Amino acid sequence: MKAEDVRKAAFAMPLHSPSYPVGPYRFVDREYMIITYRTDREALQRVVPAPLEIDGDPIVKYEFIRMPNSTGFGDYTESGQVIPVRLHGQAGGYVHTMFLDDDPPIAGGRELWGFPKKLAAPTLKVERDTFVGTLDFGPTRIASGTMGYKHKALPAAQAVHALGEPGFLLKIIPHVDGSPRICELVRYFLRDVVLKGAWTGPAALTLSPHALAPIADLPVREVISGVHLIADLTLDLGKVVHDYLARAVAP
Amino acid sequence: MNPQDVRNTAFAMPLHSPSYPTGPYHFVDREYMVITYRTDREALERIVPEPLEIVEPTVKYEFIRMPHSTGFGSYTGSAQVIPVRFREQIGGYTHAMYLDAHPPIAGGRELWGFPQKLATPSLTVERDTLVGTLDFGPSRIATGTMGYKHRELDSLAVMGLLEQPGFLLKIIPHVDGSPRICELVRYFHRDLVFKGAWTGPAALALSSHALAPVANLPVREVISCVHMIANFTLALGEVVHDYLA
Repeated sequence: MKAEDVRKAAFAMPLHSPSYPVGPYRFVDREYMIITYRTDREALQRVVPAPLEIDGDPIVKYEFIRMPNSTGFGDYTESGQVIPVRLHGQAGGYVHTMFLDDDPPIAGGRELWGFPKKLAAPTLKVERDTFVGTLDFGPTRIASGTMGYKHKALPAAQAVHALGEPGFLLKIIPHVDGSPRICELVRYFLRDVVLKGAWTGPAALTLSPHALAPIADLPVREVISGVHLIADLTLDLGKVVHDYLARAVAP
Repeated sequence: MNPQDVRNTAFAMPLHSPSYPTGPYHFVDREYMVITYRTDREALERIVPEPLEIVEPTVKYEFIRMPHSTGFGSYTGSAQVIPVRFREQIGGYTHAMYLDAHPPIAGGRELWGFPQKLATPSLTVERDTLVGTLDFGPSRIATGTMGYKHRELDSLAVMGLLEQPGFLLKIIPHVDGSPRICELVRYFHRDLVFKGAWTGPAALALSSHALAPVANLPVREVISCVHMIANFTLALGEVVHDYLA
């Protein structure tokens, strides 16, 4: 294979059967359970990278997400922690941890955008009266979220507004010698959002410590709300908003 | 967390609990079944990237047990490695690799550029037979079999194989989807401790799969087979060609 053809075909590894296809990445009937909780400010200060700032109260959104129909990625489930932040006044969510059960969106998520994804076994399903989310890392249950099923509808405008805010990611890729090659703050948006329903109800969340999946390092002090959403949306590609490796410029 | 601390801590994602630790990556009792087969030259010409050159139209199909691996744990792999020449140096180009553990997949791809996907390989002794399998989802796509330790091999000859460099095509996209990294990488196995090598009758069957196209390098004839056990350190790599330069 000619070097010029390698360059033209290069998108992702392996060159001849990339782990993930080129986008757009469209999600149909993406279903969320989002449990918002109060945590310790000091814990957030240790993990939120400047120039992002913690937005007001020390809050974490714990998410369980079913993605039954996703172009290029298939049918999979995800769970993770998103922290409300601001960048230069713009409100958004910093994705701090994310666990998935499917390799293409893990590889693509990490390598394209910088989603901090690991392989684990999340679930989200209706068990009679309860909407139940779980996250197992290996044989260990590390998160359990529960919510009353569709107790009260939420105004669509409120849910659409939340999905319209940008997401922020810390993309890090090492060089082949182990030194940092890419260390960037990335911003992305969800586009073409079609909301299909939003509900709230009583909610509870338990997190357990794990050496390699330290979600309990942002402890649950108080559950603030539980939201159940269903929407179609496109996960857009991102934009670098801060380069941590850029040479410091004198003020 | 201030930007200077982010930069100083940055090794891999997530920043506060990286998917793989920093090395060295040392493997103890790494066990291979390597079945070398003849394939079609045109099939290899389509996939071996210049400046690498094809030595002969053969492929090494590998099943690998890694029971003790610093930072990566206990896991299994399966791979296709193509004998190549790079400026008079003989080595192996890893064309495809399938693993059942995530830290070595994330670290393998992001550090070196190993073309790894998540799947379910196995390598076990079933009475008289050393059996390697590779399942992708519910589909069996590779089955290798070998008589168990029929004949001992000369350790120096087998050591020579492990001393050859490996070559990888590392590709990482930019956040806008354009290629950010597209490099030919060379790496070596260091601190080799050889624990044994055997050969015996061998067979290999590959099946087609849309996302795991191992059968695109068809098996025309099984040439040889090696079963070996060794300790070594997988060293970090060096860029030997930059396709974006």
